[in-house]
Amino acid sequence: MTGYVIRRILYTIPILFGVSLIIFFLFHWVGGDPVLQMLGKHATPDQVAELRHELGFDQPKWKQYLDYLGQLATFEFGRSYSTRQRISEMILDGIGPSFLLASLGFLITLSLAIIIALVSAYYRGKWIDRAVVLICVAGMSVSALAYILFGQYFLAYKLGWFPISGYEKGFPQNLAYVAMPVIIWVMVGLGWDVRFFRTSILDETYKDYVRTARSKGLSEKKIFLKHILKNSMIPIITYVVIQIPFLILGSFLLESFFSIPGIGSITIDAINNSDFPVLKAMTTLISVLMIFGNLMTDILYTLVDPRVRLQ
Amino acid sequence: MIRKVGLVFGIMTFTLASVVGLSGCTSERNQDPDNTVYLALGARVDSLDPVFADDAYSNPAVAKVYETLYQYHYLKRPLELEPLLAAKLPQWNSKKDELTIHLKKGVLFQDDAAFKKTKGKGREVTASDVVYSFMRLADPHLRSSGWWIFDGKIQGLDAWRKNAGEKEQANYDTPVEGLEVIDQYTLKIKLTAPSHQFIYFLAMPFTSVVPREAVDFYGEDFRRNPVGTGPYVYHRKQSNLNSKLIFDRNPTYREAFYPKVGGPGDKKEGLLADAGKPLPLNDRLVVEVFQESQPMWLKFMSGDLDLSGIPKDNFSSVIKKNGDLSDEMKAQGVKLEKTPVPDLTFVGFNLLDPLFKSNPDLRRAMSLAYDENPVIEIFFNGRAVAAKGVIPPGMDGYRKDLDVGYRPHDLDRAKKLLAKAGYPGGKGLSEIEYLTNVSTTGRQMAELFQKQMAKIGIRIKVNLTTWPEFTKAIDNKNFQLFGMGWKADYPDSENFLQLFYSKNQTPYGSNYFNFKNTKFDALYVESLKLKPGPKRTKLYEQMNAMIAREVPAIFSVHRMGYGLIRPWLKNYKRIEFEHNQAKYYRIDTNLRKKKKK
Repeated sequence: MTGYVIRRILYTIPILFGVSLIIFFLFHWVGGDPVLQMLGKHATPDQVAELRHELGFDQPKWKQYLDYLGQLATFEFGRSYSTRQRISEMILDGIGPSFLLASLGFLITLSLAIIIALVSAYYRGKWIDRAVVLICVAGMSVSALAYILFGQYFLAYKLGWFPISGYEKGFPQNLAYVAMPVIIWVMVGLGWDVRFFRTSILDETYKDYVRTARSKGLSEKKIFLKHILKNSMIPIITYVVIQIPFLILGSFLLESFFSIPGIGSITIDAINNSDFPVLKAMTTLISVLMIFGNLMTDILYTLVDPRVRLQ
Repeated sequence: MIRKVGLVFGIMTFTLASVVGLSGCTSERNQDPDNTVYLALGARVDSLDPVFADDAYSNPAVAKVYETLYQYHYLKRPLELEPLLAAKLPQWNSKKDELTIHLKKGVLFQDDAAFKKTKGKGREVTASDVVYSFMRLADPHLRSSGWWIFDGKIQGLDAWRKNAGEKEQANYDTPVEGLEVIDQYTLKIKLTAPSHQFIYFLAMPFTSVVPREAVDFYGEDFRRNPVGTGPYVYHRKQSNLNSKLIFDRNPTYREAFYPKVGGPGDKKEGLLADAGKPLPLNDRLVVEVFQESQPMWLKFMSGDLDLSGIPKDNFSSVIKKNGDLSDEMKAQGVKLEKTPVPDLTFVGFNLLDPLFKSNPDLRRAMSLAYDENPVIEIFFNGRAVAAKGVIPPGMDGYRKDLDVGYRPHDLDRAKKLLAKAGYPGGKGLSEIEYLTNVSTTGRQMAELFQKQMAKIGIRIKVNLTTWPEFTKAIDNKNFQLFGMGWKADYPDSENFLQLFYSKNQTPYGSNYFNFKNTKFDALYVESLKLKPGPKRTKLYEQMNAMIAREVPAIFSVHRMGYGLIRPWLKNYKRIEFEHNQAKYYRIDTNLRKKKKK
């Protein structure tokens, strides 16, 4: 197990190199010259040259790439072009609101989805199951933006149940501001999750060992809860675990519409302002989280399914 | 297993109930003083350090905490400068290249931990603080985007900047010839050349006065820890530059009063009801940052914002076809204020491009083929007026009757001129590249332009780029046509006319068109020597007409600013270039309570 984990961590090094090369290429060749953006409409060539020198943009590309690798290793991406704030500090400031929103949304969606999927699969083919599938498909057909516009207009503005937007530091008042975004998160994700979980559970229902259990005279409830549920957890765990690292990223759309000062909102601002160091940091962060999520999933497989061996 | 499922269900139910239930928790808003003013910003505030106050969002935030030497009179129009930290208007020497400024006595910086010597008590502002603040703008290590206002204008400052750039950090104790401290309350500024525009810079947030102790104390974090002399103190604990900024009344603010004199009609509008009252007229400002227009609009509609613009998507529901406010809004007592914005949108030509360089008729034909009416309707909801020249309405040298024949839209004349230019029906004309910033509006505007030009046979290829790429192409003169806008930095038409002065060609200035005309240059230089008055106005008119004839750009529109004001917000008067007007706002708390019920 330890050997496997070390090996997997070592595998991530070439992946990270590849990702770093792509990110470097995107920001240093395709993205344009950020110096002109930073200095504004009255910049002179001398100022441009001065700043290019200060930021190291006049260095050979390989040297700039090595500098970037240094940033990657220390996760110190310097300062934002537009706010002059240390990027690590910006990320730390944004993690709290993003994590609160995303973790609540994730946990509630997950809990509801598992319960609904279990009920639906247990009553497969009956009217409950059909109703669940129908509602899920209807829910999936509505875009997140429609939920947001409806929620803000009807639930917040018309009924006054929630704040229209905004955020306040400190518990529990921050919960008041994430309540509606969390509900929208649940509404958006629930249909997809229920459908996926239901299918995973039903896939197991038709397997040989279930038939064997039935022929041995086990009760349906026992078969369902003891055998089917446990085995159907493998794809569900993969699906769930890979999402966990991304919870610190929050939601770009929800944070933007609800003025929640999280990571998503910082990223949107960075895109609008061509704030390359912030974008570079965010892209790198997302890549690292993705690699980490995959690693965690592989390890957890073995805990759920003893048939899977780490080699 | 059933127990486990039950547990999961229980946790989920509790969490959901907590989230929904707590949405009704006591919010910070309930703790705001009754006379709090609630305002909106359309984007995050990047910094509260004045040397970085270079956009429409940072400027008003900075001006709540910091002050400049001068400000614009809140009520008088046309705009008039008046002393703020200065005791009176500057005294000029006879050559108009030296100005002596006397400071008000007894003005204190806000109390802050940075003032160690006085144990946190704010000390008095002196002339050395003004000089220090101006030098910060020149410090190359700070990379202030406001340096352009002093660049080449103050004796010895450029040399100081160069010297500072060669060292690890700038030495603020090295004297600068043109920034002389005469005594504690007096300073002299020596200019490299006479300039009538210089005084406007002393009212821009870039030149706000900051205490050196605070800059040293907070270092890089000074941007989030402002310490000024202004009417408000920034509430650091409860504020976040990305979402909400709170400013509380500065308890040590000096005696300053609401103006006693206004412009015509101000008395009737109730704008002099608070004449002579001490400022600020409210105890707290809450400024919410919105990245999307829908929540901002809903907050205004619910009465949670006292002031708002009108988002494009909501315009037709609020403004009638005749331009009046809707009956629903009127019934709520909402007031509509319309004022011209000193700006210009245009499609510029690169006059170094062989196609346009020596073919004014081609440029004129394209100008006549361009129809600004759909632009005004589609993109500005009618909130703009057609531009005939470079100077916007309300500014010195603007003439409503300006007509040199190449605006407005006239398709028949456009076709004739195109033939005269050597391209009848567009024959023989290669595809022209139109460069614009990548955004939905930018793309839509470019597509409309493409269609309009096609009507006279001109083919346009739209090139959408990011802003850095866009500016790079302009600076490298590597473009044919470009779409852009320009908003005045100060209330002098010189700020628009300088766009066409040959020595300001990119990358050394803002002449993006690479326009060069010796007669125009001579008039421009002549105008710089003149103080505001009929003679200078005449020159501005002449230059404006000359530009309209030469057509270095297709002049599109000047925008109109539309503001909606809740009836309980008193003393609102739209003012361009001034950013500290919130200190004049007063809330009629009884009316707010009554209306919000």
